[in-house]
Amino acid sequence: MSQSLVRSICISGVAVMFSGILCAQPPPTPPHDLTGVWMLRNPDSMRSFAGATFTKAEPEMTSWAQAKYKEAKPSNGGKYTLDTTNDPVLTKCDPPGLPRVYFHPYPFEFIHTPKYTLMLYEYDHVVRRIYTDGRSIPDDPDPTWMGFSVGHWEGDTTFVVETAGFNDKTWLDRLGHPHSNQLRVTERFRRIDRDHMQIDISMQDPKALVKPWTTTFYSELRPKWELGEISCSGDYLGFSKFEK
Amino acid sequence: MKHVLALAIIATTIVSIPVLAHHGTAAFDTTKMVKVKGTITDFQFVNPHVQVYFECKNEKGETEKWQGELTAPNKLIRAGWDKHTLKPGDSVTVSGYAAVNGAPTIWIRELIGPTGESLPLFEE
Repeated sequence: MSQSLVRSICISGVAVMFSGILCAQPPPTPPHDLTGVWMLRNPDSMRSFAGATFTKAEPEMTSWAQAKYKEAKPSNGGKYTLDTTNDPVLTKCDPPGLPRVYFHPYPFEFIHTPKYTLMLYEYDHVVRRIYTDGRSIPDDPDPTWMGFSVGHWEGDTTFVVETAGFNDKTWLDRLGHPHSNQLRVTERFRRIDRDHMQIDISMQDPKALVKPWTTTFYSELRPKWELGEISCSGDYLGFSKFEK
Repeated sequence: MKHVLALAIIATTIVSIPVLAHHGTAAFDTTKMVKVKGTITDFQFVNPHVQVYFECKNEKGETEKWQGELTAPNKLIRAGWDKHTLKPGDSVTVSGYAAVNGAPTIWIRELIGPTGESLPLFEE
């Protein structure tokens, strides 16, 4: 066999190999685009805690926060029922706040517009408007349930959202970890490939947390899903009668 | 329609407790599985958790009225359900966690429908 023939066989073999590899590549990730319906899907290794809180270990809370945490009677801790909980979402239909909204196990959707991105959550029609027109969070923002959000892209696939301007009525999670109106939340939505996204969440609150509380949650694109309706005041407040 | 009693309580060893979406699991004993074969009397496709009402005959021949709780309708829609998936008169076999207070209430973990097939209870 001549050297040139061997070389051409190898080259075509390599070409076949590469075409095989290319075929196995995941679909391309569109730049600066999270459009679509996403569902939180954390790995099984997080199952023991991620339905109700961010980390297996307790956050480092200030004494102020520890005292407030003792007052919480969470329904999702396995101890309190709908009749005995003081969870503000379940008893009053208060908006869930951020980042607790991620513990309502329903999908959410991104809609990009030229000057802002909307996040729609299936749970109770929660909407977040994330400004991308270059503005900053106000120095002294008014208190709101879901906060004032601004976002920007880092590279092609990471959307960074900073949020502040919260009231202090919501819980950080379903276990009742408290926060103050000094809470700031950073979410880094990192699209790993077309169908998978990593959400790095960092909570900072000098009044409640000794140091930032951080976690990483995971979500998957659901191209065939559409958001439905879940109305807390209409659906939740009378629900305990079903369990009598 | 002939009702067949099939009530069994099975002790289970469950390592991780599954999450009930709207509220916690305190009302249910997640170590105790109940299985009831009965007939649907009502089906309410409502948030936050779909309600299934059914009845069966106990050992004394008396009618027992049961209530079962599923997940949210939106999740069941994405698993292929709609408000007509179950209707009064359908024969079902319902398995799930028993109520702590002993009430005839089940947090449903498996539901075998009128066709004899297990209905999908979870979205993708």
